[in-house]
Amino acid sequence: MEEQDQMQSSIEVEEVEEQQREGKRLEEENVVRFLDSLDSYVTLLDSLSSTLRQGWLELASARQSMGASRINGALLDLKSHSAATSLQVTHHDDEILNQPHFTLCKWASSKNGYGDEKLRENKLQTNSDGPQLRHRSQFAEKIPETKGAPLIVDDQVQKERTKSLSMFGTLVSPKLRAAQLSFETALETLVEIANVRLTMLSTSDQVRKELEGTEG
Amino acid sequence: MAGRAQIPNKSSALIAMIADEDTVTGFLMAGVGNVDLRRKTNYLIVDSKTTVKAIEDAFKEFTTREDIAIVLISQYVANMIRFLVDSYNNPIPAILEIPSKDHPYDPAHDSVLSRVKYLFSTESVASGRR
Repeated sequence: MEEQDQMQSSIEVEEVEEQQREGKRLEEENVVRFLDSLDSYVTLLDSLSSTLRQGWLELASARQSMGASRINGALLDLKSHSAATSLQVTHHDDEILNQPHFTLCKWASSKNGYGDEKLRENKLQTNSDGPQLRHRSQFAEKIPETKGAPLIVDDQVQKERTKSLSMFGTLVSPKLRAAQLSFETALETLVEIANVRLTMLSTSDQVRKELEGTEG
Repeated sequence: MAGRAQIPNKSSALIAMIADEDTVTGFLMAGVGNVDLRRKTNYLIVDSKTTVKAIEDAFKEFTTREDIAIVLISQYVANMIRFLVDSYNNPIPAILEIPSKDHPYDPAHDSVLSRVKYLFSTESVASGRR
């Protein structure tokens, strides 16, 4: 009888220790995720700064070749129109990703139905490997395989791009087109930053709670 | 902000901008510009004549609109309304401070990094070791 009691208590002690080890492991995982997201955040901001600098330089070059009167804020289209590039917000319900997720939809137009093919997934790192930064190449290379219409999608994207630049005139400098691509790249980076930011804030909250629990 | 409805799952949302002319022009070329029937835009161009009140009003408007998921704001503009930006705590819209042509990004002023830097203070480390 005493032996059974001893066995029972040792099993309970082992279970408690196992739970403590599991809790410790989760705490360390949160810290690692937080540090990884912080690193990604800072790295992506640095990348964004470079991309924006390039875009501003190209815009300035275009302004120099086309004239300042042809590229300024007064020309911005104030007629009613929808954004050609937008965001898709997805709300995850699982235990790990209990936060919103942003996906950039570039040059998606509801008129022509090519919206889904322009989705650019900026996936969050959800496992313990840490966030992986993805530097995307030009949009045309990433168009998913459709049923024989990648060229049509490319043409449509080019039309949307040309339409976006039409406020500056029919003939525009190649530098202006280059600036447009730079700002598109900057947008992709910004959406990645937004997702990493959410992870950083949620993991920092968890780490803070764990620290407060340790203090108390 | 209190009272703001959540953006429905998998719905389309906008990117708003409060920045200088070149930055806004660049992003508008990338297709994020939206003008509704009442001629309300999803951007504010900040120049030397823009008042702090106008910037505050734009920030409040963009953070309460249901169709906006990200607000881009030049960091030097965010510094003009720092109290408002730092007191904003909602996940959506996400407030992203970006560099501008004349003002490079300064991590010391970033509201998100300010929120997490306490984790690196000696007090938080020491308390964790007790």
